[in-house]
Amino acid sequence: MKTRGVFAAAALVLLLAAPRFLERGTLNDIWNVAFAVILASAWNLLGGFAGQVSIGYSAFIGIGAYTTVLLSLAGWHPYATLPVSAFLSAAFSVIVGLPTFRLRGPYFTIATIGVSEAVRVVAAGVAFTGGSSGLRMPAGSFDFQRDYSAMVVLAVLVVALAAWIQASPFGQALRAIRQDIDAAEALGVHSTKYKVLVHALSAALVALAGSLFAINFQYISPNSVFDFRLSLSIVLMPIVGGLGTVAGPVLGALLFGYLQIKLLSSPALRDSYLFLYGGMLIAVMLFEPRGLLGLYRRVRGRITRSFSRPVPDAG
Amino acid sequence: MNEIITVLVNSLLAAGLYATMSYGLAVIYGVMRIINLAHAGILMLGAYATLTLNSRLGMDPFLSLVVVIPVFFGFGVLLYLTMIRRLPRSSGGPSIESLLLLFGVWLVLQNLAYAIWTGDTQSILTRYTMKSVVLLGVRVGIPTVAVFSVSALSLVVLQLVLRRTYLGRAIRAVTQNRDAAMIAGVNADRISAAAFGIGTAFAASAGSMLATMYAFTPDFGRSFLLKSFCIIVLAGMESVAGVAAGAFVLALLENFVGGYTTLPTSFQDALSFTLLVLALVAFPQGLVGAFSRATQRWRRLGRA
Amino acid sequence: MPADAILGVEGLIKRYEGLLALSGVTFSVARGEIFGVIGPNGAGKTTLFSCLVGSVQPNSGIVRFRGERIERLPNHAIVARGLVRTHQIVRPFRDMTVRENVSVGAHFGRARLRGAEAGRRVGEILEKTGLVRKAEVLAGTLTIGELKRLEIARALATGPEVLCLDEVMGGLNPSEIVDAMKLIRSIRESGVTVLMIEHHVHAVVGVSDRILVLNFGLKIAEGKPMEVVRHPEVISAYLGEEAV
Repeated sequence: MKTRGVFAAAALVLLLAAPRFLERGTLNDIWNVAFAVILASAWNLLGGFAGQVSIGYSAFIGIGAYTTVLLSLAGWHPYATLPVSAFLSAAFSVIVGLPTFRLRGPYFTIATIGVSEAVRVVAAGVAFTGGSSGLRMPAGSFDFQRDYSAMVVLAVLVVALAAWIQASPFGQALRAIRQDIDAAEALGVHSTKYKVLVHALSAALVALAGSLFAINFQYISPNSVFDFRLSLSIVLMPIVGGLGTVAGPVLGALLFGYLQIKLLSSPALRDSYLFLYGGMLIAVMLFEPRGLLGLYRRVRGRITRSFSRPVPDAG
Repeated sequence: MNEIITVLVNSLLAAGLYATMSYGLAVIYGVMRIINLAHAGILMLGAYATLTLNSRLGMDPFLSLVVVIPVFFGFGVLLYLTMIRRLPRSSGGPSIESLLLLFGVWLVLQNLAYAIWTGDTQSILTRYTMKSVVLLGVRVGIPTVAVFSVSALSLVVLQLVLRRTYLGRAIRAVTQNRDAAMIAGVNADRISAAAFGIGTAFAASAGSMLATMYAFTPDFGRSFLLKSFCIIVLAGMESVAGVAAGAFVLALLENFVGGYTTLPTSFQDALSFTLLVLALVAFPQGLVGAFSRATQRWRRLGRA
Repeated sequence: MPADAILGVEGLIKRYEGLLALSGVTFSVARGEIFGVIGPNGAGKTTLFSCLVGSVQPNSGIVRFRGERIERLPNHAIVARGLVRTHQIVRPFRDMTVRENVSVGAHFGRARLRGAEAGRRVGEILEKTGLVRKAEVLAGTLTIGELKRLEIARALATGPEVLCLDEVMGGLNPSEIVDAMKLIRSIRESGVTVLMIEHHVHAVVGVSDRILVLNFGLKIAEGKPMEVVRHPEVISAYLGEEAV
């Protein structure tokens, strides 16, 4: 645990010092990847640790983004809106979670698709959100240095939090819920309480990322922040990287960040992102459901096993 | 009074299509406990297939079903043999792996459609697209009536197959208890392949028919997918009659909301989504399951 | 319900889709007893346990635990009060080690232990159930005998007052059965009341203070082992009418 702490601190220091020697373009890429890391790691708390796959997380990004923009337009300092966006998102997750957590496995997943679609439709239709034309942050609220640092700090914090949870009894409860929810209940685990808690935590973190996104990007619209494809990417990153681990979502986010950059730069590939996402999902589910990390462990296991094969007895 | 008849007639007509669309999902879930998210993609491909047959060969959309149904049956079997069969069978309920796998297939199909047909909105126009007829004092479009007739016919055929043929009985057996069916000699693997083929064929034919009523893009299918889920959750997946009833209930609700409020259609979709969530939460056994339990209690009282 | 009874059941009824699994069962268990539950297959024994611990809600009837009515409480709340069960078909957390499995019980059961204290308790229980050598092994690789012991260990880790064992001797060979009986007695020595469903009538008779016999969801006998096995209805339930 200590080595991980040192690692995290070192990463943080490096990332914060980066503006001194990296170009703006690269810093932007890092910002994008940090955003992805937060989303993937936060989602993984519910989807990977607890095993409840939600394909509706864009709702929380949207809540975070819209809360920040609307309050900023009303005169709040952008960063003062963060606690509010986290709280609202967590509250929404509880309202949605309490009925839907009665559902098991895939039924829960389908319900989350339904909920997030409903949210998107309502957000696009309601007037105070600026409708489908979106909203812009108030002038003068942009400060790249500050926003870059904030996103990077949040990313490191979220990963550290995930690592801490994984090692704690709370994380153990989540793992038990994931593997056999009834057996967990039979040992005293209040499964609904834990599911709702981790969902709320996860939703709050994702909303914070959404708020930071809005602050830096300066413009949001229902189709950009409530997009189903965003929900999809959020799910794909941890799955491809390694569901339920701490490093998996980070790996997935790095991979996707890289892919996004490549995709955007080549017009031919830009329209093929669905092929890519779909193909990756199919490949992972058919060949290595534990993602890249699972693949790595499998290969490493095979290598170490072949080196440690016992010598047959001579006698 | 006239309004009520309008709502009822429109709901009935819509229900036929919804039922056909949902049955495809139900048979796959019943036999394999797999939730087929690619259903939306198949629906969409069915529509595009009909479009192509119509624009290239001048084939009438309803006639194109003769081509669409067997081709997509084959496609479904292929999908099963190459991918679904490889998945680890999870003990008990449906697995998240199959859900995500089929989700991936859906995405790939969408991209395929974008690549072949572009994202432009398409629609199919025939001699009778704009014509209408008066039914019970309500004016309804001819495509709608035709769609209902074909749907009703296919459901009747389906019911006959389920009751009278070996395949149908085997499907029902595997749906109720896979292990027992296997012990009784049913080749669950082959039945699963057939079920996947049937489910796919139904989805595609529903898509073909939808193409005569609505304009579509490769993104087509998502709201229909959710409506189908809603219906099979309301209905349970054991009986064709159940699916038909669930389809009618949903259609009725949609038409009520559409007829008596001024909400835009996107809100109607939000309604189905909310209904889905509520139905899933309130009736884990499906509405039909709850209904049959309630009538059982009644019958027991009658006997005592 | 007698004054020193730790668990009391009155008129418990459970229906499943037209099948009456329990048709009004009434009995009580005294503190510190080893209470056997036997009956032919399908008699409703496991359903009874499920109703007691709240993993299933009875249709009607009363369950009293330490004087409190618990029949409407959820499973985790009942475990928190000190009543826990093992599963007839074992349900280990396969991707966790044996030690982690047991610690789930220690962390979330009635005891709610943390840190070093939890670790100590887990160690004691692993010793008691003979799982120390397999402590760091993944639960998915254990033998059936070890898995049964893991079920018991996990449930014990919750720090219960009453432990319901569901056919823990199923699939064990004779020497393993003797060890299991020893373990059950030592669990009782440590102050835990034990209910046990068992098919091995010899084992149950050998270790129980009193026995309940169920058939078709109804109680057909309750009392000391020697009385119960001579009861004509019990004999006919197991062996058929001709044997009486």
